[in-house]
Amino acid sequence: MTMGYVLLQNLRRNPLRTALTATAFALPMAVFVIAISIVLNLAIMSQDLAKQLRAAVHHRVSFTNFLPEGMRSRIQALDQGKNRLTAVCGMRWFGGRVPGAQNIVQSLAADHDTFPIVYPDVAMSEHEIAEWNRERRACVVGKLIAEQYGWKVGSQFSLQSSIPPYQELEFVCVKIVELSSRQSVMYFRRDYLENSLEALGAGPGGCNVFWIRARDAESLLALQRDIDAAFANSPDETKTEDENAFIAGFIQAAGNIPGLMQMLAVVVVVILGLVGGNTMMMSLRERMAELAVFKAIGFHSLRVFRLVLTESVILAIGGAAAGVIPVWALLNLIPLSVPGRGPSMPLTASWQGAAGSLFIAALIGFAAGLWPAYQAMRLKTVNALRNIGE
Amino acid sequence: MSAVDIDLRLVRKVYHKGRMNITVLDGLDLSIEGGDFAVIMGPSGSGKSTLLHLVGGLDSPTSGSVRVGDAHLERMSERELTAWRSRHVGFIFQMYHLVPVLTAAQNVELPLLLFRMSSAERRKRVETALEIVGLKDRMDHRPNQLSGGQEQRVAIARAIVTDPDVIVADEPTGDLDAKTSTEILQLLSLLNSEFRKSIIMVTHDPRAAGFGKRLLHLDKGVLERDERHTHPVQPVAV
Amino acid sequence: MALPLKYHTRYLLVHRATTLLTVLVVAVVVGTFTWMSGFAAALGETLSVAGDPQKMVVVRRGSESEFNSALSMEDFNRLRQLEEIARDPETGEQLLSGEMLVQLQLPRRSDGGKTLANVAVRGLREVGAKVHRDVKIAGRFPGAGQREVIVGAAAARQFVGLEVGKSIALGYGGDRAFQIVGIFTAEGGPLESEIWGNVDTLMNAYNRNGYSSANLLFSTSVDAKALAARLEGPQIQLSGFTESEYWQKQAANIRVYLGFAYALVAFMFAAAVFAIANTMYATVAGRTREIAMLRTIGFRPPHILAGFLLESVLLCLLGGILGCLLCQAWLSMGGAMKDMYGATTFSTLAFVIRLTPMTVLFALLSVCIIGVLGAIFPARRAARIEVVTALRQT
Repeated sequence: MTMGYVLLQNLRRNPLRTALTATAFALPMAVFVIAISIVLNLAIMSQDLAKQLRAAVHHRVSFTNFLPEGMRSRIQALDQGKNRLTAVCGMRWFGGRVPGAQNIVQSLAADHDTFPIVYPDVAMSEHEIAEWNRERRACVVGKLIAEQYGWKVGSQFSLQSSIPPYQELEFVCVKIVELSSRQSVMYFRRDYLENSLEALGAGPGGCNVFWIRARDAESLLALQRDIDAAFANSPDETKTEDENAFIAGFIQAAGNIPGLMQMLAVVVVVILGLVGGNTMMMSLRERMAELAVFKAIGFHSLRVFRLVLTESVILAIGGAAAGVIPVWALLNLIPLSVPGRGPSMPLTASWQGAAGSLFIAALIGFAAGLWPAYQAMRLKTVNALRNIGE
Repeated sequence: MSAVDIDLRLVRKVYHKGRMNITVLDGLDLSIEGGDFAVIMGPSGSGKSTLLHLVGGLDSPTSGSVRVGDAHLERMSERELTAWRSRHVGFIFQMYHLVPVLTAAQNVELPLLLFRMSSAERRKRVETALEIVGLKDRMDHRPNQLSGGQEQRVAIARAIVTDPDVIVADEPTGDLDAKTSTEILQLLSLLNSEFRKSIIMVTHDPRAAGFGKRLLHLDKGVLERDERHTHPVQPVAV
Repeated sequence: MALPLKYHTRYLLVHRATTLLTVLVVAVVVGTFTWMSGFAAALGETLSVAGDPQKMVVVRRGSESEFNSALSMEDFNRLRQLEEIARDPETGEQLLSGEMLVQLQLPRRSDGGKTLANVAVRGLREVGAKVHRDVKIAGRFPGAGQREVIVGAAAARQFVGLEVGKSIALGYGGDRAFQIVGIFTAEGGPLESEIWGNVDTLMNAYNRNGYSSANLLFSTSVDAKALAARLEGPQIQLSGFTESEYWQKQAANIRVYLGFAYALVAFMFAAAVFAIANTMYATVAGRTREIAMLRTIGFRPPHILAGFLLESVLLCLLGGILGCLLCQAWLSMGGAMKDMYGATTFSTLAFVIRLTPMTVLFALLSVCIIGVLGAIFPARRAARIEVVTALRQT
């Protein structure tokens, strides 16, 4: 027998309480692992995006105001030697809908020549780039959209635009994008869109956003400054934001899911701390005499402190695992996506998220056990025996 | 290990209850020889339990000295007292205070976890202790599967497993019927006579007192009577 | 002969630490829940206000939002021919308003202006104020040819820089200063999140020559479905939605969002039930002998059962009240402002979360449910305690 064994046996003392506490830990922890996964995924995404050194140049009034197509060359002209600027890719919102369907496919028309350069993280192979350049109807589709409509590489389908002039276009899928930040967006060639606009007498269309890619972080900052300065006091005054700032606006408007998740995470931590603390207090109250005996037979106060604290931590981890592991497994089996506009938030639980949740649970168990453990440590053997002994 | 003497000099113990000071022991002098079986009797509040706690190193005197063998308990810190208790004293309580989720053997093994000892060595000691109290065949039972008398025997085994110098018993038969009480008291007598353990026992029961070699009457914190039994009840081999 | 209330309140005081911890668990859960219901209620209220049964939003066919819609002058003229459109009883003016929608990015107050929201800017003429009957303007309607706007009360509250007397930059180039000359309310409806200007001035500023959409009031004798069908019909080829239809559609994604959030809160509710059960089991276990005593002096099992249920409900109500206070505190500290995109627009719907008596009542009611659910099994255990066994037990 070891102390560890004694500890584990202690949890069997009041199985009902252990079960209730474990459940009271498991349920909020299930929420926590979801919340933390979303926050974590977004943090990882924004870190990855920051490395991509991209910025959005859009109209200062609103990105729904179009910028003229010619702006691309004027932006490029700001850095003739390409010392800072890698490439510029103009984009225009199409927002197509599969005819007859309700939901809008987030689709954007992009300059096909620079798209693979500005978006290397989309990871188009040479073959795919060749297809993209050869086929005017080519499009790259985010994994979630492709799954929703059952599209595969080579699939042909048409979308009807949800903005004027509402033209219907046919597309050929050349790539399914796995990248987490691009799973619910589709890109196609802007020259194809412009042709269709001209055919309807609605051209030239212009762009909602010019995405730029810089050589390094410093250049990105400098470019943002220079671009906005270059177009200041013109009809096409711009606002240039780095990709994360641009996305943050969408995330806020989609109900600020990360904020909500952070709030829920804090709530969970508070609840667990209270539940854990309560259980340990109740458990302690019933066990005063026994702990007094532990001390009488020579267990040092610090050992008793550790005993109670460790029990609390074990209970917390055990309960949390009962909530975290099923949710983690479930999310790995059935990946969900959080509703919202802008970037999708794939709700995949990483092992880091799960491990982090358990770690937090252990910390909570530790914190919740501190006061009861301290009380157990301070327990005056003589008093405890006198109160309960007879 | 030879039995150790216990020596209390001018022991005062004052408790503070709110603003009131309650003097429980008032200048007590007492010597108990090694290998003795002292029974302390007295009405409630006479200070007998306090005396027991002082000798057992659970409590420290307000003034005066408590020496057990070479150890001057009044000079020891909480930490030192705890360490001292684990080696030199065995406790037996009225309510047994076994850990309900552990088996008899595991309960007995508990104090040994404080020693550097191989598990085989612990096992051997536990078996010996349980054999002495006559419960070797019940070692895998949990407390709720044992009778009151058996629980108290397990508690006694737990008290002797570390081979202490002194056994301190607080009303060990207070919760048991007459027949079982006798068995427990005989067991204590045996530990005293065969294993040379000094025993100090507090009891209300005059019959239980008959098993001791020396009878101390406490009242209001002072020693009223101190008698020596010439013919204590003899232990019967278990 | 039920147990007196005092018996229970006293026990809640005796086990202060446990009571406090349990009350706090309930408070935190209820606080979160109340915030969510406040959110849902605020949203529901905003959208239900936008439910003028006589009003119809007309957009281009296939479009689901006024922003993505464009009406040509021919389209608009065809609309004018509709005799179903109501007329102003005094002037006889046709209650049809051609409107233009654009967007403006404004910093949010709630995060100190760190992020920008897309705010809708609507151009209309004075007839529009008659079509949007709920709207009350403090100040004057932007004059024709004047670079003036009025701002909705919700927008003014939630976004930086929308105060009467100040100017905002509008126009395709964002280079035309429009002065804010008034504030308007729309009984809390979604229009309150908008900025309004004169449609002709705005069209000029944005180089446009057509409307985005039209809003109209139809006569009470006209069936909305029939009118919508007529708009879809061969002659006109537009889409008409009653106002409530239109906004319910916009709120679809917000509802999904709320559903997701509610699901998560439901988990915590369940956790609170377990926490209460835990506390109540401990209470019952600690009072076994006392319950036996109560039984011997004549209390019957139903009394005991009711007593413990009551004790648990009291505990939870305490938590519920504290939870509502926590929620209110959070709202007062700036957590009340919320804005979200509609389902098909990129413009934001701003609302303020408030604790209404209904929300609070709902919260307290659900708290009682937590209390009963959590206590039912422990209370049954208490009611079943056998007197003799319990008294013998130590």
